Amino acid sequence: MSSQLVIAALVSGSIYALIALGLNLIYGTMRLLNVAHGDFVMIGAYCAYWCVKLTGVSPLLAMLVAIPLTAGIGVVLYFGIFRMAMRSREFVERIEANSLLIFFGTSVIVENLTALAFTPNQRGYRYQDGIVEFLGAVVPVNKLIVLAIAAAVCIGAVVFFRISTLGLAIKALIQQREASALVGIPVARIDLICFCLGFAVAGLAGVLISMTEEISPFMGFPFTVVAFVVVILGGLGNVTGSLFGGLLLGVLETFGVALTAPSYRSIMIYAVFIAVLIFRPQGLFGSARART
Amino acid sequence: MRKLVIAAMASGLAFANVNSVQAADPVRIGFSLPLTGIFAPAAPSQKNAYELWRDQINASGGLDIAGTKRPVEFVSYDDQSDPGQAAKIYEKLIVEDKVDLLLGPWGTPAHVAVAGVLERHKFPMVGDTAASVLLRGMKPGYIWFPTSALPDEMGKQLPLMLKSLGVKTVSITTAQHPFALENKKFIVEGLKANGIGIVSDADYPLDIRDMTALISTAKAAHPDAELSLSMTGDSVLYMRQSKELGFTPKVQYMLVGPAATFFTKIFGEQVDGLLTMGHWSPSQKAWPKAKPFFDAYVAKYNEPPDYLDSELSYEACEILQQAVANAGLDHEKLRKTFATETFDTIDGPVKFDGVVNATTPTMFLQYQKGVYEIVWPKEQATAAIIDRK
Repeated sequence: MSSQLVIAALVSGSIYALIALGLNLIYGTMRLLNVAHGDFVMIGAYCAYWCVKLTGVSPLLAMLVAIPLTAGIGVVLYFGIFRMAMRSREFVERIEANSLLIFFGTSVIVENLTALAFTPNQRGYRYQDGIVEFLGAVVPVNKLIVLAIAAAVCIGAVVFFRISTLGLAIKALIQQREASALVGIPVARIDLICFCLGFAVAGLAGVLISMTEEISPFMGFPFTVVAFVVVILGGLGNVTGSLFGGLLLGVLETFGVALTAPSYRSIMIYAVFIAVLIFRPQGLFGSARART
Repeated sequence: MRKLVIAAMASGLAFANVNSVQAADPVRIGFSLPLTGIFAPAAPSQKNAYELWRDQINASGGLDIAGTKRPVEFVSYDDQSDPGQAAKIYEKLIVEDKVDLLLGPWGTPAHVAVAGVLERHKFPMVGDTAASVLLRGMKPGYIWFPTSALPDEMGKQLPLMLKSLGVKTVSITTAQHPFALENKKFIVEGLKANGIGIVSDADYPLDIRDMTALISTAKAAHPDAELSLSMTGDSVLYMRQSKELGFTPKVQYMLVGPAATFFTKIFGEQVDGLLTMGHWSPSQKAWPKAKPFFDAYVAKYNEPPDYLDSELSYEACEILQQAVANAGLDHEKLRKTFATETFDTIDGPVKFDGVVNATTPTMFLQYQKGVYEIVWPKEQATAAIIDRK
């Protein structure tokens, strides 16, 4: 039973961490509150579904389509809206509220266009749903694949932000945007890269989710909410913190429900969420001054 | 005299011409559906049934309105999954669009919301995708419901079916949704009355993302049967995880979800042996319209209909069709026809008592080799109950 719960917590936690990573990257660098983030998870999931259904390829190969597609949408949004908007002083002064409204509109448009194009029906496919025993728990193979890929990307992200020049530049931008520009970091280019990376990670998460869950045009919003909870737990703009936040949420959700009752799930999650906002607004894994 | 004859002929021709134009005028039928918002995934099965019926009627020359055939035209709006919005839309359909007839929105809350509008405008409508004991308490007059899957009756019949299968203990998992909780209340009463023990009982929120703990607890209790009082989205999660965790008791019942088209499309043969709510099957030979509806739906949409929503929506259209053939478009005559006549539908004969269907018994379905069969009550059964695989 407990190993079963550990695996369930790890699978949920790694997906949450992955989704929150993308959200936090965009917020951290540009202070844009992307409330449409879950909808790009949905686009990744639909991309995988149609790749599997139309061509019969493995959803793993569908990542090669979903990641560039969502990153490409990121490029379009960046050049189509945000690059221009961020030149306006009025926009930048209220960047969080303005971006929230823009992404809210984007979310409504994306959801309804998807529903029009593919109907609002729930869809799903079966992929590697055979059962194996793993660390004393019975687990479907697809969940182990999801866990392995999500964990690899999360660990890769931590390493990337610690040792690569680009990762360090992104960290610098998150910590001191103006100072970064002064020391020669190409802020506009990094903004674009982070924007694309954030959307690409959302697309990847969508592909992974489609392997184990049904999908629909309106599946994204709960993931956006979860991502915001994780980001608050880990610290707004604290990319590494959001990875631990995701895992913490997975553990809290799975073991909390097992020790109490499923009805208390939301109460527990939002109680912790509010407590963190009150007592550690910088997040559980961040200091009040430094981020990432 | 000659001039008079010509004038008479001309006016006669003109009159005939006016008549033919009037005969060709479409009859406008209004409704709202949740095309966006949280209930949007439920809309296509209802919309498909409405459109199938409309296309069939138009292909046959039009809807017979007390002897005159007129083509059917829909006036429909998106209620954004908001029952309040649905009420406003029905008001608009009646007052501004001046539709001739109405069909139902999706779900119990939207039906309850529009009932007041119908009452106020004295506009009769046969609802469809609503099922709650709340309906029994609604004021009779301008709304009727063809469903026979009402929680109080299902709560009596389900334990009887379980008892006939030798079930002595059950585990219950219930979605925190009014319909599922209403069902649980009556099922628990029925289980107690029939001496069936509840060895595990847990409710869960609709936004649950992992059921490992919930299903593991139910499995550890070793029940003879599992009753998953699910709603649409969580039914898929439950199905996936109960299989993953090896929780497949011989008798497994799910409330909402399995009858929907997407469910069997996702799980295929894994659904075999699963019991669910419902009161219709294309296999029922006593209802000669059942199989042709199934075949026409599959031919048009390349997938089977939803055994609840598509069936009930088409059934409501059939009732409307037969009522206007007798009563025309006069609301008072229509109201009397709905309230007193017996209608021949894909679900057999239907007659209303108050607002609810008084003729169709409460039934249960089981998925067997690609189709849902009626397995309870025995008098209506199209197949015997098999063990869950």
